[in-house]
Amino acid sequence: MSLPPVLVLLGFIGVPIVLAFAFSLGHTSGPNEIISLIGQEIYEKDSWWGTLDAYRAVFQDSRFGPDLRTTLAVTFIATFLVVVMALGMGIYQRIVGGKLAMVMISLSLVPLFVPVVIAAFAIRTFYDGNGFLKSLLYHFGIDFPTITMTTNAITIGTIWTSLPFAILMVSSGLQSIPDALIETAQDAGASFLRIVRTIMIPLAFVPIVIAITFTAIGIMGSFTVPYFLGANQPTMLGVEIALFFGPYNRPQLSVVMAFVIFIAASLVAVLYVWANVRSAKQSGRI
Amino acid sequence: MARESNKLNLQASSLITRSFILLFIIFMAIFILGPLFWLAARAFVTSWTFPNLLPDGLTLEWWRVITGDESLKKAIRNSLIISPIVVLAASVICLPAAYAFARYKFFGRKTFLIGMFAANAFPKIGLFAAIATLYYTLNLMGTVLGVIIIQLLGTIIFMTWIPAAAFAAVPQSLEDAARDAGASKFRVFRDITLRLAMPGILVGMVMSFLHAFDEAQGTYLVGVPTIYTMPTLMYALVLNYPAQIAAVFSILLTIPSIILIGIARKHILGGQLAEGFQIK
Repeated sequence: MSLPPVLVLLGFIGVPIVLAFAFSLGHTSGPNEIISLIGQEIYEKDSWWGTLDAYRAVFQDSRFGPDLRTTLAVTFIATFLVVVMALGMGIYQRIVGGKLAMVMISLSLVPLFVPVVIAAFAIRTFYDGNGFLKSLLYHFGIDFPTITMTTNAITIGTIWTSLPFAILMVSSGLQSIPDALIETAQDAGASFLRIVRTIMIPLAFVPIVIAITFTAIGIMGSFTVPYFLGANQPTMLGVEIALFFGPYNRPQLSVVMAFVIFIAASLVAVLYVWANVRSAKQSGRI
Repeated sequence: MARESNKLNLQASSLITRSFILLFIIFMAIFILGPLFWLAARAFVTSWTFPNLLPDGLTLEWWRVITGDESLKKAIRNSLIISPIVVLAASVICLPAAYAFARYKFFGRKTFLIGMFAANAFPKIGLFAAIATLYYTLNLMGTVLGVIIIQLLGTIIFMTWIPAAAFAAVPQSLEDAARDAGASKFRVFRDITLRLAMPGILVGMVMSFLHAFDEAQGTYLVGVPTIYTMPTLMYALVLNYPAQIAAVFSILLTIPSIILIGIARKHILGGQLAEGFQIK
């Protein structure tokens, strides 16, 4: 019964990825033939397993270094801030609760309603040269910087779009901690920070790790937000993949970049699997 | 949820903490809602001169432009037809699997679950570039079927994981009791398992719909120029039309999401979504 989705994924994700990997190594025949004919700057294999020439070409491209650095920096900073914000709100809701907490959580779920294209466009107009902040602060004599078309705008946009998922994960993890545990620690004289550090974070560990991995992986491969909000150069690799595939007509190089992101994302994914296995072991399911 | 019982007294109500929290909420409100209002307001104004905080004039002209434009109407129709088909297909394909993942231990179960996660880790835009190659070979480029498959790919993870967690949460003892009382297998499934798992399935469907409805990158690559959906048309609008038109379209594009999340809000907040993302 579990076969249909697995087959769909194998057929339309697994097979293309394997084909793309072969293509990136210079296997240009078979199903890759058409794309190799259309595309420019194709490196063909010179041994039975292929060649790393396409990878070499990407790594030697002067744009690639700054792009990769931008991608990793945005991913790291945005993920960090998103998780800190989610933890802050989750802990506040768990310990203090009440109406204010409810308002805060509901507010932060709003981005879930909004299609990414619109979010990116809205954020772009908001921080633009004639955006709200610039207009408002102008009346106070402050020249607020134009953020749109910078890496900072990408970070703001990705935080905006990633927030709801992280908050849902973290707050539901924190909600499942029994009151008794926290109350006992309080009675024993534990400080607020100590309760957070030794009880809440360890007990909500798996949801927190899930929030981190999905946020980081989502940001790493994002296209729309950096496309609308970022500078032309350097930008995130997601945009560069689209540009190399479409306008530049360098499909092989774009596939190589996709695998660079995939490797980085896989490293993050290992964290997710490790956390799940660890929790399964602790609860005796393995 | 912030139920009264969750209130723990942890000296967090001092004036300084309270005002700090209030400041944080105001910051969040501006950070999250600010861009949306700033954009939505544009749907009703003639023009807006920097640095005025108020527009130059009000008008509904842009709405008339949108309702009169054939390509826009077509995009709306495409979106409203394709996304429900995607959700339906995802349900048919994934729900039996979700049940199997929840109820049976079979060979390769964990591998499949982790494989789905790995498929999610590959950058979408790179995947679409890779799929395009396959699509040329299968002649799916520019077809409705091609767009449906592209949108389906992203929904599988929601439609399998979230309902699987919901099925797993239905106590086996309840099903056994009903069987003992003489209910048929089908009846037990329909009246007990399915009913109790319904909130999770609903959340899965809502998330799938939103994902399919909002999917732009893959749809753009496969569908354009024959098939435009609302989000892919939005790309063109943002780059080629005045901001006011894009603002009107943004409002239209957000309505289905607001309605759907409104329906499923209780269950999403109730942890159905979060539950589904933990491999068990």
